[in-house]
Amino acid sequence: MSRIKILKSVTFIALAIIAVRLFFIQIIEHGEWVAKANEAHTLLETITAKRGEIYMMDNGEPVPVVLNQTTYSVIVDPAVTDKEGIKNALEKHAKSYITADIDQVFSTEGLRYYIIAKNIPHKIATAIADENVSGVWFQKSNQRVYPEGETASRLLGFVNADGLGQYGVEGSLNHILSGTDGLLKTISDVNNVALSIGNDNVKIPAVDGKNVVLSVDRGLERGIEELMQAAIDSTPATNAAAIIMNPNTGEVIAMANLPNYNPANYGQVPDASAYSNEATEIPYEPASICKNFAFSAAINEGVMTSSSTYYNLGYEIVDGWTIKNAEQRATLNNHTLDMKTALYWSLNTGSIHALKLLGGNPEEITQQGREKLYDYYHNKFRLGRETGIELIEAAGYIEDPNEGWGRNSTYANMTFGQNLGVTMIQTATAFSAVVNGGYYRTPTIVKGTLENNKITPLSREGVVEDQILTNDTSAMMRGMLINNRSYKVRAGIDKPGYDIGGKSGTAQVIVDGAYDNSMSNLVGSYIGFVGPSGEMPQYVIMTKMWGAGQALSGSEAQSLFDTLSNYAIDYLKIKPNN
Amino acid sequence: MINQTTYVTRRQASVSFVRNRNTVRHSKRSLGSISQIVIIGMITLVFGLIYVAEGTKATGFDYEISSVESEISEMTARRDDLAVEKARLTSVAAAKSSTVAANMENATVTGYVAD
Repeated sequence: MSRIKILKSVTFIALAIIAVRLFFIQIIEHGEWVAKANEAHTLLETITAKRGEIYMMDNGEPVPVVLNQTTYSVIVDPAVTDKEGIKNALEKHAKSYITADIDQVFSTEGLRYYIIAKNIPHKIATAIADENVSGVWFQKSNQRVYPEGETASRLLGFVNADGLGQYGVEGSLNHILSGTDGLLKTISDVNNVALSIGNDNVKIPAVDGKNVVLSVDRGLERGIEELMQAAIDSTPATNAAAIIMNPNTGEVIAMANLPNYNPANYGQVPDASAYSNEATEIPYEPASICKNFAFSAAINEGVMTSSSTYYNLGYEIVDGWTIKNAEQRATLNNHTLDMKTALYWSLNTGSIHALKLLGGNPEEITQQGREKLYDYYHNKFRLGRETGIELIEAAGYIEDPNEGWGRNSTYANMTFGQNLGVTMIQTATAFSAVVNGGYYRTPTIVKGTLENNKITPLSREGVVEDQILTNDTSAMMRGMLINNRSYKVRAGIDKPGYDIGGKSGTAQVIVDGAYDNSMSNLVGSYIGFVGPSGEMPQYVIMTKMWGAGQALSGSEAQSLFDTLSNYAIDYLKIKPNN
Repeated sequence: MINQTTYVTRRQASVSFVRNRNTVRHSKRSLGSISQIVIIGMITLVFGLIYVAEGTKATGFDYEISSVESEISEMTARRDDLAVEKARLTSVAAAKSSTVAANMENATVTGYVAD
């Protein structure tokens, strides 16, 4: 065979092999190769929606308290990165952002990827990039920024590493703040630049989250937190919580929980309870504060007035249990007292008498009395139910009036705020109805969403505005509550020209399934209102102080109320009526 | 035999005219196969260049868009930085710890002018 024939044969075989291979690639393995090509050239990424910011009010204007900031992490490959270059650049521009021992990172064998600095703001990252250090990458991310530091952290919550709002407003309004991520699917070049060539490109723009404006006043919030901290420092209390709300609108203008935590470093807490908003998430027994509700019910039913009388033995025996008054003065025991005096001295026998009157029999607690008290507590004051405020809430509980053992003693205890579980926001909202003319209004802490400097109210379902008490009942209760603080006026604690009324509560705590009768575990609460003399109250203030294993009575919470009410009068510029 | 010098018939005259007129020879010509390939190749090339030019033009816009988007991203980051800086400077915490605040006296009494 001639050489030319051999050459021809070889060429033919080679071409045949190529043709067969092409046939396999183009026809048989077509799908597989298309997938590989798409994988190599298709850019598929989520367009992250910008999370909405959170604002508080300040002099009638919204001011940001939670913002977003683009930050960068510095990544090195110890095998190729200029160690001295990046070390010098970081120490020069971003020393406080270094998160690793750079010498150790570079001396670790086999390490090809390490983040050596985090959360670097854009300006500083640009300065580092301008140093042109070889082998350095910048990874972009979004970070929540809290210009007010720890202020109101348990109200605001935080955003976790997955971008999800947790606790507080961040958690409850996550659906409004987070927006909707978009999608980009397109052909890209080697530098990952999206190209418009190709038929299957998809670009769904992200819908940014909405900015939320809280009704909370920034300065007031900060101010009362400082005062609360001072109260904690001067008592055995380790915790304190407070709410200030407008009883005429249901708007909360301050909600504080101490101790706070640093939301920018939210992992540094002893346990998850540090994140809870005590005012809305933790039901408790507010004790004698509930006498306001039992008295209001009896007055509203027309079976009692502030001057109605009963004989105070100093104790009551119900279902075989002896229920004593905390106050055992000789001038009170075995005396006929009016209900105004009973409320002033916070006598449990007085509130039990109100329950008896509700049942139509002043001598004993009846089924009718229990059912009426339940109707007021649960259906009218909405205790033991979520209020509908735009925050994470716990419902708590109110015992059924007819089921279970010892109903009478349970309901007797409920008149002075034990044997039930309610949150502070439930209590403050119900108390607002007691003093505002009798109107129950669903509390709110959100003014609306902010766009182009315009606040648009949120649409809310199930908002309640019911008159649950008569105006006369409310006026009588205000009178008794003002009387409760008459000595505060005399002592110069309450400023003249204002109507300030209130009621304390000292609650026993359940330890190992039973009330701790040693009185070494007590939670102190106080609730009251503030307004110019002769006018409707402008603000309701509730305080709570406690500490594990500490006996905090209502008097500590009352002192805190005194401080906060005077601060609020000045801060909110409530004018006196002389 | 007809003496053609003495008498010319009309028919003969007509033939004579045809014979004497200017004529052009139209021969059938065609391109060779190589020329056809070259021309088709050229046309394909031109269309190909037009297609590539259009494609490149679209891709050029993509790079421009990418550049503008990067710039927007940069500006947004700078704007956010400034917003954060402003919020920090105007925060209650910053105001309280400022030298101006440190030199202020605490308010003790709030007075109101009678209405």
